[in-house]
Amino acid sequence: MISRAFASFRRLSYSNRIVTIVRAIPYRARFGLSRGLKLHFVGKLLAVSVCLLSLAGAGAVVAQTALPAQTTTQPAQTPAQAPAQTSNQPAQNGAQPAQGGAQPAQNAQPAADGKAQPAPNAQQPAGGAAQPAQNAATPAQPTDAALAAEAGQSQTAEQLADAGKELKRLRDLVAKASDDDIALAELKVRVDAVAKQIISTSIATRPRLDEIKARLTELGDPPGEGQPPEADIVTAERKRLLAERGEINALTGEAESLSVQATKLSNGITATRRALFSNTLLKNTDVSVEMFDEALSATVNETKVLSRSTMSWLTFVWNYKRIPLLTAIFLSICAAMVFLVGSNRLFSPYIHHDKSDEEPSYFRRLSVAFWSTLIPTISTGAFAVSSFFFLHSFNVLRSDITPIIAIALAVIVAGFFVTTLANAVLSPRESRWRLVRVSDRGAKVLLITIFAMALVNGLDYMFGGVSEALGSPVVLTVVKSFIASVVIGLIIIASAWIKPTLKRDEPFDAPGRPWPRVVSIVLMLTGASLIIAAASGYVGLSRFIATQIIITGAILVMMYIGFLTGKAVSRQGAFAETAAGRYLERRYKLEQVGLDQVGLAAGLSIYALVILFFIPLILLQWGFQVADIESWTYRAVTEIKIGTITISLMGIMAGVLFFALGYVVTRWVQRWIDGNVMARSRVDAGVRNSIRTGIGYIGVGLAGLIGLSAAGIDLSNLALVAGALSLGVGFGLQNIVSNFVSGLILLVERPFKVGDWIVSGTTEGFVKRISVRATEIETFQHQSIMMPNSLLINASVGNWTHRNKLGRSEIAVTVTYASDPRRIMDLLAEIAGAHPMVLKNPSPTVGFTAFGDERMTFELRIYVADVLTGGGVRNDLRVAIYERFRDEGIGAPFPLKIEDVPVEDQTGIESHEPETVGEPKGATSAEARAAASKKEAASAAPLDEEGEEEGGKRRASSRRSNPNR
Amino acid sequence: MKTFVIALLSGVLAAGAVSAATVTNKDGETAVLVVVEGESRMEVAISAGATEMICPSGCFVTTPSGDRIGLQGDENVEIVNGSAIVK
Repeated sequence: MISRAFASFRRLSYSNRIVTIVRAIPYRARFGLSRGLKLHFVGKLLAVSVCLLSLAGAGAVVAQTALPAQTTTQPAQTPAQAPAQTSNQPAQNGAQPAQGGAQPAQNAQPAADGKAQPAPNAQQPAGGAAQPAQNAATPAQPTDAALAAEAGQSQTAEQLADAGKELKRLRDLVAKASDDDIALAELKVRVDAVAKQIISTSIATRPRLDEIKARLTELGDPPGEGQPPEADIVTAERKRLLAERGEINALTGEAESLSVQATKLSNGITATRRALFSNTLLKNTDVSVEMFDEALSATVNETKVLSRSTMSWLTFVWNYKRIPLLTAIFLSICAAMVFLVGSNRLFSPYIHHDKSDEEPSYFRRLSVAFWSTLIPTISTGAFAVSSFFFLHSFNVLRSDITPIIAIALAVIVAGFFVTTLANAVLSPRESRWRLVRVSDRGAKVLLITIFAMALVNGLDYMFGGVSEALGSPVVLTVVKSFIASVVIGLIIIASAWIKPTLKRDEPFDAPGRPWPRVVSIVLMLTGASLIIAAASGYVGLSRFIATQIIITGAILVMMYIGFLTGKAVSRQGAFAETAAGRYLERRYKLEQVGLDQVGLAAGLSIYALVILFFIPLILLQWGFQVADIESWTYRAVTEIKIGTITISLMGIMAGVLFFALGYVVTRWVQRWIDGNVMARSRVDAGVRNSIRTGIGYIGVGLAGLIGLSAAGIDLSNLALVAGALSLGVGFGLQNIVSNFVSGLILLVERPFKVGDWIVSGTTEGFVKRISVRATEIETFQHQSIMMPNSLLINASVGNWTHRNKLGRSEIAVTVTYASDPRRIMDLLAEIAGAHPMVLKNPSPTVGFTAFGDERMTFELRIYVADVLTGGGVRNDLRVAIYERFRDEGIGAPFPLKIEDVPVEDQTGIESHEPETVGEPKGATSAEARAAASKKEAASAAPLDEEGEEEGGKRRASSRRSNPNR
Repeated sequence: MKTFVIALLSGVLAAGAVSAATVTNKDGETAVLVVVEGESRMEVAISAGATEMICPSGCFVTTPSGDRIGLQGDENVEIVNGSAIVK
C-alpha cells in the first residue's frame, strides 16, 4: 500500500517537479554565467548578485523568454543535424551510387543533393544547406520515425487494453462484493489507480502528437487548386502523418471512455458503500413476540450446533493435531510471557503505582494511567494476534472455528482495554492515584458499571460472530443485539443514580453526592433512547450507539489523558522532573532552557502520537475501512484542494527539505572556499568576507528557487510576487531595497571591509559586519552602531585603514622662550627616532609651529606603520619627552599659568632656574613641589586645548588609547 | 537576511501553491474545448487571450483542431491555431 502510494506520488508530482527544477536551473545558470564569464571576478559577483536580485522580478520573465528562444533555435538546429543523422540513408540506398556507399555521413548531404561538392562545404551553416538537407531528409525520416511511433502506439494500445481488462475484472469483483464493505473499499482504491494509470498512459502519446503537429506545420497545407503540385513524397508523408494523428486521437478517445468508465465504477462503489452502511445501520426489524419465539428455538439450535462443532473440532485436534495445538498454545503463552515480563521490566515505573509515593503529582498520575492502560492493552493485543497467528499457521483452526476464535480474542482485547482504562482512571483502591475526583464508593460502582457495559457489549459481539460463523438465522443476532442494547440502556439509566461526586474539601471516603443535574439527565436520555431505538426496531442503530458509547468513549478518555499528559510535559520545568529529563540532563548536560525545549518537543510529539494513533482507531470503530483512511491520508499529504488551487503537503515538505539542503550546502561551500581556497591563497580578509557573503546570497537564493520548484510552486507565479514587490518597492520598501543594493555594492567595491577603522559623519569605529541592510560599526567605547548601507554609499566615508595602515601622528610641545628652539627640535627628532615603532621613512619631522604669548609651540610629526598603535606610540613619546626635558633641564613641555604663581615663589624659581618656568626640576625645594602640583592641576585643560588644535583627527587620537590596548 | 528570505518565501507561497491545469487561448477567436473530467463531459469556452483553470485532478481535452490530449492536472496549456501546446 505504502509503496504504491509513494510510487504514484512520485509519478504524480515528482516527474514534473524535477523537470521543472532541472528546466529552471539551467536558464538561471546560463543567464548568470554566460555574462559572468566575460567579466572580472568582482564584476561577476556584481552581475550574479544583481541577477539574484532581479530573479524575483525577472526570473519568471527570463524563464518565459528563454523558452521561446529555445523553441526557435530548435528548428534551426534540426536541419543542420538532419543530414548527419539521416541522410546517410539515401546515400547508402544508392541515390548516387558513384559517390555513395562508404562515404562519411557529412558527404551524404551533397550526395543526396546531387552536387559533387567538396566535403568541407557539407558543414556549411544551416542557412544555405538547410533547404536541400531538409528535402534530402524527408524520405529518410518516415521509416525510422514511423517504426518508433508504431511501437509506441501499439504499446499504448496494449496498455489501454490491459486497463480495460482490469477494469472489467474489477467491475465483476465489485458486483460480487456488493455487500462487503471492506472489499469494496479496497476495490475503490484499485479502480482509482487504474483511472490514474489510464490518464498517464494517454499522456505518454502527447509528445508524438506534438511531433506530428510540428511536422505537419512544416509541410504546410496541401496545394490548392491552380497551385503547382507538390512532390509525391510530401503528399505521402502528410497522408501518413494525418493517419497517425487520427490513430493517436482514436487511442486517446479510447482512454477517455475508459477513464469515464473507471470514474463511474468508482463513484458506483461509493454509492453502494453508502447504501450498505445506511442499510445496516438503519435497518428496521419488527420486534414481536414471534421473533423472540423464533430466536429461542434458534438459540437452542445454535447451542447444539456450537457444542457439536466445537467438540468435533476439539476431538479432531486432540486426536490428530495434538502436537501443533500444544505447540501453538505453548508459543502463545511464551509470547504472552515475553510481552508481559518485557513490558513490566521496561515500563515498570510507569505502570505500577509507587507505594512509597504518598502524594503523586497530577502529571505522574496521568502518565501512570496512560501507560498502565496502553502497554498492557498493547501486550494483550499482541498476545491475541500472536495466538491467532500461531494457531492459524499450525493449521489447528478449522474454517468454521476460525471466526469464532478471532472474534473471541478481539472481544477479550476490547473488554480488557475498557476495563483497564476505567481501572486506571478511577483507581478504586488507591484514592491518591485517582485521576477524577470521585468518592471511593462511587469509583467502585462506576467501575462495575463500565465493566458490565463492556461485558454485555462484548458478549453481544461475540455471540453475533458465533451466529454468523455457524450460519444461524439473522433473527438470532437481532434478538441478541436487542437484549444487549436494552441491558446497556438500563445500565446507563441506572448509572444516573450513582452518587460519585465530591465537594472540593470532602475526603475520598465520604459518601458522595449525586451527579450534576445535566449529567444525570444526559445519562437517562441516552439510556432511554437506546431502549426506545431497540424497541422500535432500529436494533442495528441501537447496538452501534451502545458500542460507540463504550469503545469510542474509552478511546476519547484515553486521548484526553494523552493530551493532558502532553500538556503536562510541555509545561515549563515539568520535563526536567521526568525520568527522561533527568537522563538527558545527566547524559548530555542539558541546561534548563534546553530541557524545556526538549519538553516542549516531547509534549508536541505526544499530541501527534495521540492523534495519529487514536483518530484512525475511532474511524475504524465507526466502520470506515483501512483503505479509506489510507486514501484520505494520501490525499491529505499530496493534494489539498482549495478552489482551483491544490496544495501538496508532501511537496511543501520536499521544498523545505530541498531548501534546507541547499542552505547547508551553501554554508559548507562558503566554509570550504573560505577556509581552504582563500585562506591558502592569502586572500585579504575583506575580500574573503565579500566573497563569502556573495556566495551566501547566491546559494540561499538558488536554494530558495529549488525549494520553490520542488514544492510545486510554478516559478512563473513569481511574476505576480515581483509585481507586488515592485509596487511595494515604489511605496515602502525602497529604503530596504536601496540598503540591500548598497550592501552588495559595498561588498563588491569594498570602500571598507570588516575590521577597518572608518569615520562617517559623527560615527567612528571599526567595521564589524556588513550585512544585508546595515553595517555594524563598533565605536571605541564598544557601542555598536547599525549604519544603513545606503548612508555609507551616499555619504563620504573616511577610512583610516583603506590601502595600508600607515598613519601620521602629532604631538604638540610647548616650551618657554628661554629654551633654544634648535636644541628642542633636535631633541624631539632624536626622541622620536629612538622609538622602535616610529617609521624611519617617512622620517619624523619637527615643526616650530607657533609663537605663543609666553611659550613656543613645536609639533613632532611621526609616522607609524599601524595607525592603530599610534596612541601607544604617542604615549611612549610623551613620557620620553617629559623625562628627557626634565633631565636636560629645559622645562615643562606644556603651557603653564605663570600668573597663578605667587610673586615670591616665581621670583625664587626664576632666580633659580630662569629658563624653565614651573619646571619641577629642582624637586628638592618645597616650592618646586608646590609648583609641580599646580602644574598637574593646570595641565588637563591645556592638553585638551592641544587636542582642539589638532582638529577632528585629534578627537580620534584621544580615543585611540582605547583600541590601542 | 532571514527576514528578507522569509518575506520573499511567504509572498511566493501566498501567490503560488500548486494549481490546476491552466489553459491560455492565444488565438484571436474563442476556443471551445471539450473537457472530460470524471464522469462529466463539458464544453469550456475560452475567449481570445483568456486563461482558464481546468481539471485539477486529470482529464481529457478535445481541442478545436480535433486532437484529444490527456492532462494530468498540473500542466500549462496554450491554444495556438486551435491546437494545444502543452508546456
